Amino acid sequence: MSTRVTTEMVMGSTLADINNAQLAMDRTQNELSSGKTILEPSDNPYGASQVITLQSSLDGLTSYEKSAQSGISWLNTASGALANINEVSQRVRELVVQAANGINNKSDLENIADEVQQITETVKQDAATQYAGQYIFSGTATGTAPYEQGEGKDAYKGNEGSIARAVAPGSSVNISVALASVLGNGQASGDGKLLDTLRTITQNLREGTPAAIEAVSGADLKALDTNLEALANVQANAGAVTDQLNTAVTRVQDLQTTTTQQLSNVQDANIAQVAVEFSSEQSAYDAALRAGASIVQESLLEFLH
Amino acid sequence: MSIPTLQGLQTALSGLLAEQQAIDTTGHNITNANTEGYSRQVAVLQTNDPMRIAALSPTNGEGAQLGTGVSVATITRIRNTYLDAQYRTQNAGLGAATTQANELQQAQSAFDEPSSAGLSSQLSAFWSAWSELADTPSSEAAKVSVVTAGTQVADTLHEVNAQLQTIQAQAAEQYNAITGPSGEVHADATQIAQLNQQIKLSLQAKQQPNDLEDRRDLLLDKLSELGNVTVTKEANGTDTVAFGNAAQPLVEGSTVTWPQALTSAAGGKLGALLELASPEGALAKYQGALNEVAKTLASTVNALHTATPFFSGATAATIAVAVKASQVQTAGPGNPEGNEVALAIAGLRGGGAEAQYAALIAQVGSDVQSAKSDATNAQAVVTAVGGQRQSVSGVSLDEEMTNLITFQRGYQSSARALTSMDEMLDTLINHTGVTGL
Repeated sequence: MSTRVTTEMVMGSTLADINNAQLAMDRTQNELSSGKTILEPSDNPYGASQVITLQSSLDGLTSYEKSAQSGISWLNTASGALANINEVSQRVRELVVQAANGINNKSDLENIADEVQQITETVKQDAATQYAGQYIFSGTATGTAPYEQGEGKDAYKGNEGSIARAVAPGSSVNISVALASVLGNGQASGDGKLLDTLRTITQNLREGTPAAIEAVSGADLKALDTNLEALANVQANAGAVTDQLNTAVTRVQDLQTTTTQQLSNVQDANIAQVAVEFSSEQSAYDAALRAGASIVQESLLEFLH
Repeated sequence: MSIPTLQGLQTALSGLLAEQQAIDTTGHNITNANTEGYSRQVAVLQTNDPMRIAALSPTNGEGAQLGTGVSVATITRIRNTYLDAQYRTQNAGLGAATTQANELQQAQSAFDEPSSAGLSSQLSAFWSAWSELADTPSSEAAKVSVVTAGTQVADTLHEVNAQLQTIQAQAAEQYNAITGPSGEVHADATQIAQLNQQIKLSLQAKQQPNDLEDRRDLLLDKLSELGNVTVTKEANGTDTVAFGNAAQPLVEGSTVTWPQALTSAAGGKLGALLELASPEGALAKYQGALNEVAKTLASTVNALHTATPFFSGATAATIAVAVKASQVQTAGPGNPEGNEVALAIAGLRGGGAEAQYAALIAQVGSDVQSAKSDATNAQAVVTAVGGQRQSVSGVSLDEEMTNLITFQRGYQSSARALTSMDEMLDTLINHTGVTGL
């Protein structure tokens, strides 16, 4: 037996088809206007969880980049201070050589001693350099200046702790510069470090005796050279850490690019494809309307008289 | 043996009457073409008992039976009860799937993912705030933003949890409204019981109650959306209706037994609502998973933030930031300006809480996806079975118009037969035996 087709069936299926065509267009329209293919988790459950994970790791990469950039600025500030200290220490070396040539009178030596003393304070001032309000040479005690100004106040006030910047999951770079290991704790400690050496030089120059001058050009100069070498090491170290951070920034930026791409692959709509889908759905809708309009009007009643 | 003279008039009259009833039935069909639940009716025509004539033939003495016309034996509705049962089974499935899909869709919206307002974004912002604090451990502003971001995470957890609870409570409310004394189940069951009574009386009076049966079937269709319906046809014409997994029949004769206890196995909308409202249902499961996220978040952060717990509470509803900005810890004891604690907490990004949350979102998403596709499939099946039913029972206007013409012609022809008969009798009565007058 062939299936009977009743008026209500025709009306019902026409309406259902038009409705379905509209639903499909609505969905595609949403994709087009938002540019996303995942509008809610049920569109692609696994994709939605991937979006969450990828978005978070993208935010994480931004944090790592920020941290590394701030570490680089920190180290640039530190390098500037170290270069200053190096420069003035070289000046001390010149002065020491000048003092040792034996043609200086008492007052000349006093003048040289004054300058060395001045330089000692400059070194301590450079050590108190700040980055974003933090003392960068005080270990983790970033709220405390590493050295106080003034003679006899050469003891290091900071600590041995180190500051780190996270540059990747589970990986951080130590950005503390161990300047205190070069400057030491002054004459009172007799540690032979830069401040101790500078104070000793000043003291010997003021004494001015041939033995003292000989000590200046001998033991003191040698100690100064050792200190300068240590300073150069610290400078080189800071440079190496800066390079490490620069590499980290480049790597993080690469990762950002690939993660953004992955995220886009998962959640972004392929506009060209969606637009084509939309126009084919539009045609389907148009066809459903046309067919509906003509079939709903047709009836035997039109032909009976 | 001869034939009664006026028999021909009676025969033609039976034709007129029968065709008229058939036209009336067609008219009834046309007027109810758009009536919900209406089944087309057919006037079943049947020949009248014939007149027996013994020895009609004078030559061989053989008898014959002379037809005496037509009458309408019954007016019957065209209905397939097998399709009714199938429709109701599928309709219960559709009711359950639609309800499930709608409610889960609401739960999905409560999570508001993926978006910049969802928990995942708040969590990410929280880790970023810690990372910023690690770069500037002594900054008051960075500490304040850690506390703010933490508070936002806690608020979002509260909000999502509260919405899930509301959806669950609404499911229970909806169930109570439908099953309550003024709810749909009771109203429908009462009408079915009344119709049962009327149908029984009609049948006792030997009248086929087509329209009453249609109304009863329509009510059963509506009831089947709410729960599984099993109909037993009794000999006296009443329907005994078993509903959901209730212990007693909902309707038996003219008796309604309601309210009765149902479980989530009741099927239909009510079964789905019970499942959603139950402590083992999907909504409760989501709340449990959200609590796990809150618990993991609190315990992992607190394990690193050792000076004083950063979060208090270990459920989605109770979690809160327990520290002021000044109490935010960036480093271990004795190292106030260090940043190792902040670094470690920022390093929790992508860890337990986030992974649990991403898994929860995937779970919610696939639940909604499968509920939606269940609903779409159920809708397709119901539409298909409904179409089959329509194909059998629905009114086709073209068909009715054709019938109308057929019966109209039949009526006209019967009238013409009557006229012929009348002319014959006129000849016999008025013109016979008058020759030569």
